[in-house]
Amino acid sequence: MKNLTLRELSKTYFDPYAGAHLTAVHDVSLTVQQGEFVSIVGPSGCGKTTLLNMIAGFIPVSGGEILLDGRAVKGPGPERGVVFQSFALFPWKTVLENVAFGPKMRGLPRPECESVAREYLALAGLAHAADRYPNELSGGMQQRVGVVRALANNPDVLLMDEPFASVDAQTRMTLQEELTRIWQERRPTIIFITHDVGEAVFLADRVVVLSKGRVLKELGVALPRPRAWDLVIEDSAYKAVSAEVLHLVRSA
Amino acid sequence: MTLLLKAWGLYARLTARYPAIRSIVPFIPVVALWAAVAEAEVFPRAFFPGPLEVARSFVSLVYKGILPDYLEDSLLRLAVGTAAGMALGIPLGVLVGLNARARAMLWPVLLFFQAIGDIAWLPILLIWFGFSLTTMTFVIVYTVLFPVVLNTALGVRRVPVELHRAARSLGASHARVVWEVVLPGALPNIMTGLRNGLGYGWRALIAAEIIVGTSGIGFLMFDARRAGSVVEILLGMIVLGLLWYIVDSWVLAPIERATGQRWGLVTQ
Repeated sequence: MKNLTLRELSKTYFDPYAGAHLTAVHDVSLTVQQGEFVSIVGPSGCGKTTLLNMIAGFIPVSGGEILLDGRAVKGPGPERGVVFQSFALFPWKTVLENVAFGPKMRGLPRPECESVAREYLALAGLAHAADRYPNELSGGMQQRVGVVRALANNPDVLLMDEPFASVDAQTRMTLQEELTRIWQERRPTIIFITHDVGEAVFLADRVVVLSKGRVLKELGVALPRPRAWDLVIEDSAYKAVSAEVLHLVRSA
Repeated sequence: MTLLLKAWGLYARLTARYPAIRSIVPFIPVVALWAAVAEAEVFPRAFFPGPLEVARSFVSLVYKGILPDYLEDSLLRLAVGTAAGMALGIPLGVLVGLNARARAMLWPVLLFFQAIGDIAWLPILLIWFGFSLTTMTFVIVYTVLFPVVLNTALGVRRVPVELHRAARSLGASHARVVWEVVLPGALPNIMTGLRNGLGYGWRALIAAEIIVGTSGIGFLMFDARRAGSVVEILLGMIVLGLLWYIVDSWVLAPIERATGQRWGLVTQ
């Protein structure tokens, strides 16, 4: 089992304006099972993006360790795919080339890269957009590309940093439903960062509430899958968990 | 007013069908004014010849093979110098743009040498290399280098950090990130550098040919001054303008349309 384990992870910055060290993440310990969908939710400034950037290997940790499959991770790597809030698609590559980028970096032969990319584009209903450039797509479509680009590399863990925060509300609901569908089909391990309580509960098996750099509480979400907004929105379990998470986030 | 609008509409439709018209029509009033001033003999004819005399001299110089030869010399010098300037400038710009230590060490030096200017090197170059191709190539490379380095470094630094991170987390090595992310991301700025570099290089070349002078468009013009042939001087000036227009609209603009504009990195 390729579990992801965070052991007393912490991050301290030196703030030149305050002239002091600030702790963004404070002794966070967390284990994510293979195939699990975990949301990390918290108000802005709670350290959730810092946490994700450490797991992704974008910034060094100040203390503790990150273990994937029992081994410590160091720097960014293809076994930890990332989906960015800003999409971060390569503007000079077509949709197909963007999705084929990971397989290409793994050294797969060109026809194979292309067939893998086409398979994943079809999974997100993007087959028709393969030859377009990202700037020719809507925000929602761009982020679909962002998600399948990360998935096409077949990562052990998919790290998602508020990926749907910059698309409109209707598109966001569609993307959330699509993500749960794709997750059920492929069962990647997902860590999903968000400030949106409803989104966190709708998507995940488990919601981790983060506050001031510490884990405030972990809650299981026992909603049936597949999940669709028109059903979930009326569900009493969804309402109860959301209310509790909201209370925790607001009191944080 | 309506008549003017109709005429403009007709012009727009014509240029849409035959784009070449767009590059010719704006020059008609300029040439007409020139012809009128020359015909009115405001200045003595020998000092201010008209378009027809220049056209005649163009035909005769092409016929004698002088103009094609000189043009070839000038363009070859410019091409070699520009290629060398880019080959040096782009890697240097990437280094300065990506590496804070390299930037700290090289930036002041770059600014210092940029300020010396191309022509200011000519006196010492003439002592070192004489009236030679080396001298001219040095001047062009020097002129092209700085706009390319500075603009490349600027472009490299403007590539969003998320794109570096995305590539790294998809398994790209640092070297692959430079090739797949940094260079294409900086391309619009590299093109700006090339455009400026070529423009300055072209001017520097003419100046160098005037001083070093054995052949080339600059030499043609200066040689014509010695012979007192205003016609040939004007011809040289027109060739300079035309050539730049051709390089811009046939080489630079198409590259920009196919890259930065297509990718949405720069607005049309």
